[in-house]
Amino acid sequence: MDEKILEILAEKCGVEPEDLKEDMDIDLFEEGLLDSFAVLGLLVDFDEKLGVKLEITEVDRADINTPNKVIEVVSKRG
Amino acid sequence: MFVLEKIREYSKTDKTAVIYNDDKMSYKELEEASNAFADFLIKNGKTNAPVVIYGHKEREFLPCMYGALKSGRAYVPVDITFPADRLEMVLTDVEPEFFVCLRDCEVEPLASAKKLNVSDVQNIFNTNSNESVDEKHWVKEEDNCYILFTSGSTGRPKGVPINRANIENLAKYLTKWVDVEGNTDIITNQISFSFDVSVVSVYVGVALGKTLYTIDKKMMEAPALLYEGLEKSDLTFWVSTPSFAELCAVSQNFNQNMLPNLKRFLFCGETLTHKLVDTLTERFPNADIINTYGPTEATVLVTASKITKEMAEDSRPIPIGEPLEEVEFRIVSPEGKELSDNEIGELQIISHNVGHGYYKRPDLSQKSFFETVSRGENKRGYRTGDACYKIGNLYYFCGRIDFQIKLNGYRIELEDIENNMVKIDNVSRAVVIPVMKEEKVDYLAAFVLQTQKTDTPKLREITRIKAELSKLVPSYMVPRKIVICTSFPTNTNGKVDRKLLASQL
Repeated sequence: MDEKILEILAEKCGVEPEDLKEDMDIDLFEEGLLDSFAVLGLLVDFDEKLGVKLEITEVDRADINTPNKVIEVVSKRG
Repeated sequence: MFVLEKIREYSKTDKTAVIYNDDKMSYKELEEASNAFADFLIKNGKTNAPVVIYGHKEREFLPCMYGALKSGRAYVPVDITFPADRLEMVLTDVEPEFFVCLRDCEVEPLASAKKLNVSDVQNIFNTNSNESVDEKHWVKEEDNCYILFTSGSTGRPKGVPINRANIENLAKYLTKWVDVEGNTDIITNQISFSFDVSVVSVYVGVALGKTLYTIDKKMMEAPALLYEGLEKSDLTFWVSTPSFAELCAVSQNFNQNMLPNLKRFLFCGETLTHKLVDTLTERFPNADIINTYGPTEATVLVTASKITKEMAEDSRPIPIGEPLEEVEFRIVSPEGKELSDNEIGELQIISHNVGHGYYKRPDLSQKSFFETVSRGENKRGYRTGDACYKIGNLYYFCGRIDFQIKLNGYRIELEDIENNMVKIDNVSRAVVIPVMKEEKVDYLAAFVLQTQKTDTPKLREITRIKAELSKLVPSYMVPRKIVICTSFPTNTNGKVDRKLLASQL
């Protein structure tokens, strides 16, 4: 599951999963790896590829600003 | 009727002009604050140089814009997405006498200019005369109202000035499309003032006495705030780029229950996809959808069409619409021959909406603008660079003839990004490619050659390039994907093979 989540996240960040593994606590917004539009795509993909439904109103930037946090939020729902 | 006359008229009522989250501004306040700002400019200005306004939807922004117009000056709105470097380029080109800075910003104007921060502006609103400004001071027919800076292929933004005659022509034909309910309507104020789709609200909506409901960047970044704001907005008319509606539609709650009185969506700025039309039709059965099209050079938009069931079900793209009554379209082959139905060529716009060319750039203007006779009248024309075809009076967009693209509604020259990327340390060449999804650009990818191979971890190198680039271009121009390569494939002409690069994504 974690690998799948990371794969989807990496695609939206425009990098490879291995790249993200270099720093799983990197601030995705501050480093310019994620923006509002990419987050939308992320939620759509989690729903379509993993069957994890996250309402956009439930996820605050602070909850998903690092790869580790994204994995935590999504796997809790999975 | 020009917007300034209407603001003066509505200021005698108790109408609300703008709603900002928990705050609002009446037409009376808007009139008085803009009078005071005009009074300040008239008393202290030595020249008629345009006023540069840097910020994003602050309460002071609109009074400064209208105040500049009342003093006979154009304004140049610069959104906070512009980094310091670009803002400096704008200041250099415009040479303003007054630089209004509504957000913290370290950039200083030239020595001859005065920088006004928020407290200076508030002070002007409070102490200068708020009496009605004599119309003799207002911008005249041939005076510029605004200059918008848009991406330029050389890596330097170019200014597009639009005068009062252009705007009055637009308003004349657009008003009926915006006037859906009467005078109590609430309409969106979401698009940044540095992007001309905002003109629909600022010039036409306000002239109709509507209330602008502000959706700012802060709300865009925190979806909970955005939906909370929409829920209490009671919007009746929606104007935005399709991308913003797509963003809202990610939540299933974005439907008629959220906006029960919404009557119309008016879209402009980029491709309207079948997917969005289908979603909105299903979720907002009481609202119609209007698609419009137009480049900044021809004052916001030059077409409008109601999207019918037939168009939605057609396998062709959603049409960009029918030209407004006054507008003539010509579809022209590379040899300059006018084409007939179903033949693809470059679209030329002939209209009083067409501006006078690029600001202080006669070289560029000459390439894109021309004089012609349309239906017995002398008019200006603009070569759009858009490849289009028509069926009857309905026009369809099918791509660009150059490297300009639209991403999330933003107009971007790919060469602008490439030319700025090579300014970054250890980047020797860059090729930027749009990645398509369904009918529009999903994101940008940049292929980069390094001057020297480094041992820096890839993620660090990518984030470094992104951070450096965001100091040079607006954030929406920073490619999502950065691929570091050792060489670029070339085609038989020796040029970089963009198609082959794109296929590697």
